[in-house]
Amino acid sequence: MRANKGGFAGIGSFLAKAWKRYSFIFVFAIILLVYSFTIEANGNTFKWGHITAILASQNTVIVGTMALGMALIIITGQIDLSVGSALVLCSGVSIMAFNMTNSVIITLLAAVAAGALCGLINGVLAGYAKMPPFIVTLGTMLIYRSMMLSLVRSIDPVITGSSSSQFAMLSENSAYDALRMKFGTGSLPGVSIPYITFVFVAMMLIVLLISRRTKYGKSVYAVGSNEKAAFLAGVNVQGVKVSVFVITGVLVGIAAFVQACKIGNVTPASSGKSYEMYAIAAVVLGGVSMSGGKGNLLGVFFGALSYTTINFIIVSIPQLTTDIQDTFQGLVLIAVILIQTVGPFIKDRFIEARKRRASRKQARLDRAESKG
Amino acid sequence: MAILEMQHISKAFGGVIALSDVHLTVEAGEIHALLGENGAGKSTLMNILTGVINTDSGEILFDGKRYPNPTIATMERAGIAFVHQEVNVVNDLSVFENIFLNRELKTKMGLLNRKRMIEEASELFTRLGVDIDPCAMVSELKTSQKQLLEISRALHASAKLLILDEPTTALSTQEVEHLFGILRKLKAQGHSFIFISHKMPEIFEIADRYTVFRNGTFISSGFIKDTTPHKIASDMVGEQYLDKDYYEPRPLGETIVELKNVTGHGFADVSLEVKKGEIVAFTGLAGSGASEVMQTMFGVLPFEGGVIRVEGKSLRGGIAHFMESKLAMLPSNRKENSVVPDMDILDNTCIAEHCLSKNRQMISARAEISRYDELRKLLWIKSESPKDSILSLSGGNQQKVFLARWLNTKADVLLLDNPTQGVDVGAKAEIYRLILECAGRGMTVIINTLEIPEIKKVSDRCVVFSEGHVAKIFQHDEINEHDVMLYSTNAINTRGGANHAG
Repeated sequence: MRANKGGFAGIGSFLAKAWKRYSFIFVFAIILLVYSFTIEANGNTFKWGHITAILASQNTVIVGTMALGMALIIITGQIDLSVGSALVLCSGVSIMAFNMTNSVIITLLAAVAAGALCGLINGVLAGYAKMPPFIVTLGTMLIYRSMMLSLVRSIDPVITGSSSSQFAMLSENSAYDALRMKFGTGSLPGVSIPYITFVFVAMMLIVLLISRRTKYGKSVYAVGSNEKAAFLAGVNVQGVKVSVFVITGVLVGIAAFVQACKIGNVTPASSGKSYEMYAIAAVVLGGVSMSGGKGNLLGVFFGALSYTTINFIIVSIPQLTTDIQDTFQGLVLIAVILIQTVGPFIKDRFIEARKRRASRKQARLDRAESKG
Repeated sequence: MAILEMQHISKAFGGVIALSDVHLTVEAGEIHALLGENGAGKSTLMNILTGVINTDSGEILFDGKRYPNPTIATMERAGIAFVHQEVNVVNDLSVFENIFLNRELKTKMGLLNRKRMIEEASELFTRLGVDIDPCAMVSELKTSQKQLLEISRALHASAKLLILDEPTTALSTQEVEHLFGILRKLKAQGHSFIFISHKMPEIFEIADRYTVFRNGTFISSGFIKDTTPHKIASDMVGEQYLDKDYYEPRPLGETIVELKNVTGHGFADVSLEVKKGEIVAFTGLAGSGASEVMQTMFGVLPFEGGVIRVEGKSLRGGIAHFMESKLAMLPSNRKENSVVPDMDILDNTCIAEHCLSKNRQMISARAEISRYDELRKLLWIKSESPKDSILSLSGGNQQKVFLARWLNTKADVLLLDNPTQGVDVGAKAEIYRLILECAGRGMTVIINTLEIPEIKKVSDRCVVFSEGHVAKIFQHDEINEHDVMLYSTNAINTRGGANHAG
């Protein structure tokens, strides 16, 4: 029927389909547009530099990388509140490894191994011991951070690289220059996109590939969509549930390595605070359903970009003091989720009403016919 | 005097007629057995009576009053209580709190009057002859006590008519006797009961009158003392059908599946041998153990004793082990146990095969689509694109996709647990056609179903389960709905009503 109306409706339905599948891109585009307006309103011009700033931000790269794992966890119907603390743990371990060995490879491996271990602990407790993931990771969130808080004070400053409250990379190590100056803060000449952004993009592509093109990826969705059916189809449900935590751990490890290289130090008392919430926000902005089973990992990439941009907008409005900024962050987040959850509901109501009207009309016609 | 009269009740869901001009009359102070196979319309009628769903036409007269538009609240107030199959009590509250749920007695201060509630509860229990401590936590009660609690609660809310939906399924023989004693006592006090049960001996023990439905129509009604289990069984299943066009005997191979004295959840000491290429039907009422045996044969449920052998190899462990030994199981209850709602048709088809070929993780979309197309043609699945949502398909077509899911694993033994549940007549016939086709190609099929007429159409043998045991194994020629019904309701053992060999 729609096709009869010609090309115009065709474009309309194409757009409607695209909106449904890639709404996160539209959301990001709109948020970016708003950002450009606020820049202009402040009397500046919107430049490429603003976009590279978004791409280089902590919230994009660090939180984004963690959010990829968080998305897998949420798709299986679980949650991980410990990623912010695990990030601190991995960064601390990674920096200590660097200070002791001066080896790039070992620094990276230490971060990844620590992350995988953190994830495994979460996963085994949630998946095999069948404890609610919310509670498990709430516990490990406290544990991972406080372990680093006490370690930073008790370990020799030669290893922590700093006097009391920080883990810091020793700048006199020969690999410091390569890690921190070249990789951590450098960018690709010409387009001035930071190297660390490419790490995030690479991780996104890998996770996207796993989720879309592997049998394992399909089982992750199946577990979140209908656990019982997945189990009865032979899926190792517990294994999948544990594995997503381990993958997240590895991603947190990589994010921690990147963070260490970008900043050069980590402060257990303050670094990575609330990052689990930012990661969840990025996942939700990316269109992943909190009830599990649904979501596109590409969306998480754009979700992270959207989240960063929202932050930039709020910071760029001079009337908003730092104290009130979180309020606006929260409001925007709630508004976006509201659209996500209420939108389909309204649509269903609309369709149902239409169906009811149609069936009433049919009934009237039937009656008229039988009388006639 | 009749306490309840339901006249000319009709109800259709979409195009499916659930009830067609049926009537039911319950006298005051009687226990009325409502009988019929699954899908006969009993639940629909009870849901109409309790106001859960609306009737399309007909009228309800209860206790001298007409109820044109019954709602749950009005029917409850009128004095009708539904005691469900799954006991509906709140486990985390105490017994008396359950009785007074939503009707709590308050003191003048507006606080809960615990003392009076406990007093009233124990008075109620004494009156009924129920031995339950009003202060005990419900979670500590036995199932039978929970059932009595639910009945007591209904009576406390001054119910005049109680609907008991298979109240004895979870009870032991003594508990059943105790329950029946209480029912008789209440009957003498003027309460009426609609008693839904599949167990013939019970019906003949407790009920005064009966009504039989079949396929949504009224078949018969009368006094229990004037009828026999045989008569009721044939009223329930009907005399016609048994079209033999499907079945033809095939040469069978060696034994492929062997159960030896297997004891597990809900069944004990089950022994069975199934040959390659054979179609075996399991049948039995809820709680008979038929479905549990099937689930145990696929590693869904663990078993405690005995041996399960597939092609001579003893099997134990989870589903993955059984799948590797080329077993497949289509579970019952499609929506809960098969549908992965967020995945498309293609992924729903391939998910089980993915678990078998874990070593090659990458998916070739093109190969999977062409494989799906083959299965789609074989199974006559009506789908537009394999990328459409599984939910876009009708129930019958969904079920075919799940059959495809298991055929795709290249299994040798196909276990089908109630495969025609909730699919329309056409799709049903196609599923049976497919079962015969699979067997023709050397697959072994075991099907658990309550639809006895269907069993005759396809199966070489029929295993009747009753109370966790194999009650009888019929060869194809011996399969006879009458006898199957008698064995599954266990009427044969108690009433001894029949001699019907072959």
